Amino acid sequence: MKENADNSFRRIALEAIVIAALGVLLGLSFHYRHVLEALEPKEAISPALYPAPVGLAEMQDLLDQGGVAVDARSREAFQEERIYGAVSLALGEAREALPGFMRRFPPETVLVVYCGGHGCPDSFDLAVRLLSAGYRDVRVFEGGLPAWRDAGLPVKEEE
Amino acid sequence: MNRALRWVYHGSRLVLGGLFLYAGALKAGDVTAFAQTIGAYRIFPPAGNILVAVTLPYVEILAGILLVLNARVRPAALLLGTLTSVFILVLLSVIVRGIEVNCGCFGAADKASPTTALARDAVLLLLAAATYRLRGQQQG
Repeated sequence: MKENADNSFRRIALEAIVIAALGVLLGLSFHYRHVLEALEPKEAISPALYPAPVGLAEMQDLLDQGGVAVDARSREAFQEERIYGAVSLALGEAREALPGFMRRFPPETVLVVYCGGHGCPDSFDLAVRLLSAGYRDVRVFEGGLPAWRDAGLPVKEEE
Repeated sequence: MNRALRWVYHGSRLVLGGLFLYAGALKAGDVTAFAQTIGAYRIFPPAGNILVAVTLPYVEILAGILLVLNARVRPAALLLGTLTSVFILVLLSVIVRGIEVNCGCFGAADKASPTTALARDAVLLLLAAATYRLRGQQQG
């Protein structure tokens, strides 16, 4: 009797494992793209394409010396509120908008990219893009709009 | 098996199977969000989060379907019982480590706290045990 019960539990456990394995296979085949993407090693960014971070004081100095503040957030967010004098280049639309942007600003322009502050990666990603596109001096203002606004510096709000 | 027990058996089998089928389908619908939820538990490296996110929902769905269809009931109940036990261990570890997580058990919109989730898992474990045992009696 005892041996029988052991055998049958072993069979049940084996079947449970088979069900689990089938589920895993199903999931992997439905979402293989996700998995491949996750396992792919991320391209390392070459040091030449690494944008330098700047603080609030340096950001102000750069803008005073003719640097251009670039807003990496969405166009809607830009319309709502932005650093005074900033131009919009949303990361999501960068591919289409970059040629126009480059006609407006020559490659020697100093660009300071910002987005929604710490924890928002868009400014960094856009800065890398701008460096690859040929801009020579691109910085990232890590504090972004919140730091600027909190310091009481001028913002432009929706009219 | 008497009539009342048969009702209990079919009831727990259907509720357990239905719940896992539902929970699995919700998570399979947005594996990216589920991977982020798993990431918040801080157990796996990023690639591990994705692997669990794309596979776990389908294991739940498959076992849920079998229970609803009254097929391979004991293996399916054993599997879901084991999964639930693992979930309980994970939730306990979250409480011990003092990490803030949303359960995510029923998709990303599920913001249940670890304690609520623990209570739910205790019920699921009970259902799995009842299904497993009663199925054994049914077969004599």
